[in-house]
Amino acid sequence: MTTFLQYTLSGLAIGGIYALVALGFHIMWSAAKAVNFAHGDTLMIGAVLAVIGIDVGLPLWLACLLAIVAGGVFGVLLERFAVRPFLGGATSIGWMLTTIAVGIMIESLATMQFGGFSRALPSPGVAQAVHIFGAGVYPQELLIPVVALIAMAGLKLMQKRTLIGRAMQAVAHDKRAAALVGIDVDRIVAFSFGLSALFGAAAGVLVAPVIQASATMGALIGLKGFAVAIIGGITSAPGVVIAGLAFGVMEKFVEGYISTAAREIIGFSVMILVLLAFPQGLFGKKEVMKV
Amino acid sequence: MKHLHTLGFLAFAAWLVAVPVMAGNEYELRLFMLFLIYGVIAVGLNVLVGLTGLVSLGQAGLFALGSYTGAILATRAGFDMISASLAAAVVAGLFGVLLAYPTVRVRGVYLAVVTIAFGIIVENVAIEWQSLTGGTTGITSIPAPNAFGWRLSGYAFYGVLAVTLFLATLATHNLKTSRFGRAMLAVSQSETAARALGIDATGVRTLAFVVAAVTAGLAGTFYAFLNAYISPDIFTFSDSVRFLLMVILGGAATTFGPVLGAYLLTYLPELLQQFALWQKFAYGALLLLVMFALPKGILGTLAGLVKRFRPTARAVSIVGAVPAEESLRQPDKALAAELVARGLTVRFGGLTALSNASVRVKGGEVHALIGPNGAGKSTFVNTISGFYRPAEGDCELDGVTLTGLKSHQIARVGLSRTFQNTELFGEMTVLENVIAGYQRRLTYSVVDAVLRTPRMRREEAEARRVAIGLLAFVGLEDYANEAARFLPFGLQRRLEIARALAAKPRLLLLDEPAAGLTTQEIDDLEAVIRRIASLGISVLLIEHHVDLIMAVADTVTVLDYGQVIASDTPSVVQDDPKVIEAYFGTSLHGAEGEKVA
Repeated sequence: MTTFLQYTLSGLAIGGIYALVALGFHIMWSAAKAVNFAHGDTLMIGAVLAVIGIDVGLPLWLACLLAIVAGGVFGVLLERFAVRPFLGGATSIGWMLTTIAVGIMIESLATMQFGGFSRALPSPGVAQAVHIFGAGVYPQELLIPVVALIAMAGLKLMQKRTLIGRAMQAVAHDKRAAALVGIDVDRIVAFSFGLSALFGAAAGVLVAPVIQASATMGALIGLKGFAVAIIGGITSAPGVVIAGLAFGVMEKFVEGYISTAAREIIGFSVMILVLLAFPQGLFGKKEVMKV
Repeated sequence: MKHLHTLGFLAFAAWLVAVPVMAGNEYELRLFMLFLIYGVIAVGLNVLVGLTGLVSLGQAGLFALGSYTGAILATRAGFDMISASLAAAVVAGLFGVLLAYPTVRVRGVYLAVVTIAFGIIVENVAIEWQSLTGGTTGITSIPAPNAFGWRLSGYAFYGVLAVTLFLATLATHNLKTSRFGRAMLAVSQSETAARALGIDATGVRTLAFVVAAVTAGLAGTFYAFLNAYISPDIFTFSDSVRFLLMVILGGAATTFGPVLGAYLLTYLPELLQQFALWQKFAYGALLLLVMFALPKGILGTLAGLVKRFRPTARAVSIVGAVPAEESLRQPDKALAAELVARGLTVRFGGLTALSNASVRVKGGEVHALIGPNGAGKSTFVNTISGFYRPAEGDCELDGVTLTGLKSHQIARVGLSRTFQNTELFGEMTVLENVIAGYQRRLTYSVVDAVLRTPRMRREEAEARRVAIGLLAFVGLEDYANEAARFLPFGLQRRLEIARALAAKPRLLLLDEPAAGLTTQEIDDLEAVIRRIASLGISVLLIEHHVDLIMAVADTVTVLDYGQVIASDTPSVVQDDPKVIEAYFGTSLHGAEGEKVA
């Protein structure tokens, strides 16, 4: 029972990170039918910059805030210079390869600057573990899935209540029609990439105290975030968050009962099987092909 | 261009022969042999990237899969190098189907993610399944290269690799210039149009990925024998990026580009070794640079320059062409196809776009479907051609139920269509567009395509003759070698009709063919429609243009708010009070100067 609870709680923590990353993929895909393949590196930027911020003597809150803002700026710049020039094309090769290229460059730059090793971000959230029915978790771990759920609810609320949120939905539905009613589509797309990057960098800051920050931490988490988006259905925000949390819990159980290698094998195989059985993901909707 | 390719292959062969002659010893050849192996991966990947426009970031995983399969078969089951590599190619191909099929039918972008994930799965299986793969220590006892019981010398092994790369390049070149390559290009340029022409987009993309997987698997075994040792950490994500970069840098979709890219990127790391830390960064920077400065790659850019300074003649000779009258004529006009749609209802969320609509297009007639904007005309067209699914009702063509079939299957039943917003294959020439329309009538196999058998050549030649005849039919023979996207709008519309006709339809569906045309062009269109109908092809015409409808239609059906409100001869419909009301409101006041429809 204790083990069960332990795996579930730590699974929800890492799952919350996947959910935040996947939520970013959902937002970008909705706006542009394109995503940033260096999105995992946005998370890494958040984590690594927060650690560097502490190094230079900033207070924790300021270091985290600056790291998240830097991540957001990265997302906006990437959209402007690596994604937008290729959005009109018939295939997705252009923006895929440019964002992958930027990801590779950022990762190797970070390796050179930060060093090849991992470091934890000090945080009051991991100062002392709390015990729930014998399962020990850090408050930070409990916080992560809550943040993911709040982010999703906030996104939904924004899409319903605010002008920019409604504009995002209009653009997701039909770019041309949105432009015709006076929505600046480019700005909405840029905003969407920025918002996704904020979520990504925030996920990095949140997870850095729990797993350690390193230059290479982004690639695998980013990939799993996309896997979660595929499983949950990239067109559904609640879908990707639920899938993210579930994926995290599943990982912890496989890791606990079998091995780390089995975790990756089973996790990604589940993605392929879901794709086979539910092409649009568990909660996704089919996008109507406009003829 | 054709002679250039022949010359290219001769030069390529001469180079492959010259290199070992020039080399001082077997050992010097080693790096070049590594290039040959990478080249095999790159030419296969080119089919996926260059032709279908999809990206795989898991070629290293397939390469590893091939390596392990080959190495295990050689060390455990005593396979020689040749049989082990063939078995590895088959295994990789099967995994290719398994990965590609579920993925590419949803979104092409997913393929990149699924392939990266596959690379990670392979790596972890190799670590975990110690009894088979040796775990992290890998497989060390791989025998020296051998074939049919003979041990191969370094030069003989070189020969095997050189021949493999040469044949792989030739095979992918032949595939590119066949119906399969054409289908791949078509799907990447307009999936909608490709499907409407009977091309199975999912099947075509899966095939492309399988080609890329098979070559990677084959190359993997060769690599295992060259290295004599493999372990899970040899095959990294960086390698997958490097394979992709080989294709893009050399020139995606060109015949020799990937070979050139593989050569450059095999020797470049040797030069970059002094910048150890920056090496990875350099790959990223190079990829970014190529995407912005040289998106067509080295050979693609060169080919573009050649074309600019030595343009091919725009027109094509119609000597020997099969006249459209001959290629299109239906065997018996009395048997012309009849389309029956019964009670079609289509809903989008809360909106009912089509409500219990029944339309019957009698065999051999020109049937016009009209209605105010938003009446549901396009929905009707897209529903019978399989792009939308009706909530209720069904339709059939000559007794064959179309409802529930996919659009490419419907096209194969004999329905061809054009599009309101033209959907041409922009990068293909005008002639190639029409040959793409002929696609479903070509029946030769992949093997025929790769070997360029007489059957393949015969069918292709026939397709070309028919296509030229159709170009003459719509008056486009003078533009045959122009890229379709450079055609003026009016001619693009005509090209779409020629392309739709190339499929030899029994029912032709024209979706607002007169939109955006000049008066003169509309007169020409009228003549073309009459001639099509006279050949025994039933025509369903969606149109706003009243004069055209009155001139060519035998029957007019009027839609309003998704419902059929009238269906009769043009003159009767014109005076129908319900039709007048639909267009002008309750009275005729305020409708001066406008005509009904």
